[in-house]
Amino acid sequence: MVGLSAGEKQFMHGGIAQDLRSDGRQRLQFRPISIQTGVIPQANGSARVTLGTTVVIASIKAELGKPAPLRPDKGKVVIFIDCSPTAGPMFEGRGGEELSSELSVGLQRCLLGGKSGAGAGIDLSSLVLAEGKICWDLYIDGLVISSDGNLLDALAAAIKVALSNTGIPKVSVIVEASAEDQLEVNVSDEEFLQFDTSGVPVIVTLTKVGRHYIADATSEEESQMSSAVSVSVNRHGRVCGLTKRGGAGLDPSVMLDMISVAKHASENLIAVLDSEIAAAEAAEDDGS
Amino acid sequence: MASGPLETYSPSQTLERRHQQQKRKSFNEIDWARSDGRNFHQCRPAYLRTGATSSASGSAYAEFGSTKVIVSVFGPRESKKAMMYSDVGRLNCNVSYTTFSTSTRGQGSDNKDFSSMLQKALEGAIILETFPKTTVDIFALVLESAGGDLPIIISCASLALADAGIMMYDLVSAVSLSCFGKNLVIDPTSEEEACQDGSLMIAYMPIRNEVTQFTLTGEWSTAKINEAMELCLEACSKLSNILRSCLKENVLGFTD
Amino acid sequence: MEYVSSLTGFRFDGRRPNEMRQIRGEIGVLAKADGSALFEMGNTKVIAAVFGPREVQNKSQQIDNQALVRCEYSMANFSTGDRARKPKGDRNIISYSADHGSKYINTFDASFSGKNLKQIDIFLQVLQADGGTRSACINAATLALADAGIPMRDIVTSCSAGYLCSTPLLDLNYVEDSAGGPDVTVGLLVKMDKMTLLQMDAKLPAEIFTDVMQLAIEGCKAIASYIREVLLENTKTLECMRGS
Repeated sequence: MVGLSAGEKQFMHGGIAQDLRSDGRQRLQFRPISIQTGVIPQANGSARVTLGTTVVIASIKAELGKPAPLRPDKGKVVIFIDCSPTAGPMFEGRGGEELSSELSVGLQRCLLGGKSGAGAGIDLSSLVLAEGKICWDLYIDGLVISSDGNLLDALAAAIKVALSNTGIPKVSVIVEASAEDQLEVNVSDEEFLQFDTSGVPVIVTLTKVGRHYIADATSEEESQMSSAVSVSVNRHGRVCGLTKRGGAGLDPSVMLDMISVAKHASENLIAVLDSEIAAAEAAEDDGS
Repeated sequence: MASGPLETYSPSQTLERRHQQQKRKSFNEIDWARSDGRNFHQCRPAYLRTGATSSASGSAYAEFGSTKVIVSVFGPRESKKAMMYSDVGRLNCNVSYTTFSTSTRGQGSDNKDFSSMLQKALEGAIILETFPKTTVDIFALVLESAGGDLPIIISCASLALADAGIMMYDLVSAVSLSCFGKNLVIDPTSEEEACQDGSLMIAYMPIRNEVTQFTLTGEWSTAKINEAMELCLEACSKLSNILRSCLKENVLGFTD
Repeated sequence: MEYVSSLTGFRFDGRRPNEMRQIRGEIGVLAKADGSALFEMGNTKVIAAVFGPREVQNKSQQIDNQALVRCEYSMANFSTGDRARKPKGDRNIISYSADHGSKYINTFDASFSGKNLKQIDIFLQVLQADGGTRSACINAATLALADAGIPMRDIVTSCSAGYLCSTPLLDLNYVEDSAGGPDVTVGLLVKMDKMTLLQMDAKLPAEIFTDVMQLAIEGCKAIASYIREVLLENTKTLECMRGS
């Protein structure tokens, strides 16, 4: 927990009211964001996102599995977030579990769409190799290395970048009519397929401090929040998921206003991420 | 194939699946009849009673269609010694399912996600300053799960809190809504929930005009969010009146 | 299986038997920790964070005249080739971390003048495991402790060595490690020439064991000189920044 004195609180509230935060940012301005791809060579795709002093890593691993019986035409995506104690002694032992599961649920809500699979950031049908028999199981692991607020946005950005970095081996299914359940597959070592990541949304969290709301709050600012709304928005400006955090109630009209502000802020974030992804790809190509 | 279900042994499984697929097809159509004969913007009838368990400080029972929930509230009692000092009260929520709550016999496990969501939905409504250093325990048990579990738990819990005499700003009522293509279906059953394209859940305090919890999944346009929120908020207000009249009945019962 | 080519004498990854993987250390990778470091040995990658010295959190653990050093070790889900199925509460890891913790207590039991600041937490996060994670953890922790400014008697470094195909091999990677041969891990206080950790879990003739251990010790010394370099470099940059 961040302990702030009465003076510091006053200073922070005053600054936010005047659209000038303690670190010189405006209310809706993000901290500098930098990304690095391919940080975990053992995974199919990975990325590290640094947002100010918040550092997170996302890794994507694909394994062959069987589709769920009720959804034979869909692959499976599992999202799991872990908070490393390196981010702070409060995550020691089981201390990080509550936050980890909150973050996992929040990301699942924002990335996986509705129960029927509609509106998911990742096209689940594209993961199926043979309907009802074989599909890719996508394991998305997030790790919080250093925590200074706004973890959800950073993790969503990291997952988006990692997915764009992911190469899934090309698989050819050898269909055999006789043995129904036993399909032979040929996993290619050389050919990799890229993901279509255009539909993967970003998350913008607006934190309400006093009467105003701010984007990309630091942990000091988060300690003063009354409530926060995390909105996930995709490239087409559609809302793909929403989570409210913090106990205090919000007026419905304020809520709608926050959604439209978050939508607006997301455009900038997507643009920044796109250019960073392009830069990271270029850097990786140069390196190899 | 040890993990997957053996299809040769259970014809019902494939039948069920075919059934499901048919159902999913029918949901994609523009108009369909809901299995319980409701129209899209009609909620299930609510049956609510307070004082379901006698040992608790307060309790409530809720029945919406075939979803049945019982919530007991204990406390306020002294916080555990290990907890840090707090000048406001704490909430401890626990949501669990009975083994017979679903059609396939389940594990009867705790639902941690629901527990934390319940806590967040209620935190904003309770005047926590009135009981410093203490904890209020809220235990919710889902006897039968048939859709819209979380909103019903939230509404029922706020009724139980009122029954326990915990100071609140307002009663919290919650309603969920499913989205199928263009259609918005309020208060979905579990069958409908399993096939929905998107969902929205609101916990609302009508008198304060404040939303305490809001979740949304699936892809939505702003106009649709507006429409869905309006529907839910109206339903919440009406549900809140039902909660209130249930409390009043209880009081009248005492005086008689 | 042939772990050392009989023709060329090279190992799988092209190293000579007494050659270490590329090592890399970086100080101050985390802004929020009092001291932090990243240490890489080939593909093995570990982040260490040090918090403290601070007040002892659990008073019953307090030791008089001595700092309480605690250590926790966690592995990221994606750190191994196969994704770990069980994300949490792995017993192996818990025992492993306890193992580590006790080792550090023996190594860094420095006493502090500050009466109330008596707890130091070391958190190790394995990002990638490719053999020699324990050694990498110890090396990363040393860097992080130095970064946090904890007074130490000497810097501790660690390195492992194995014995496969009748050849002592320095710094085993995952493939060599899982071959089932003997694996000797050594922790060394280089200047004082004292050993803090010695572990082996296989049968090995005594004279060969001495050779393998000697090889690991040489490895420790090489790492120590590298770590010293990194620390010196870091001190220079700090001096530059102060502008003196």
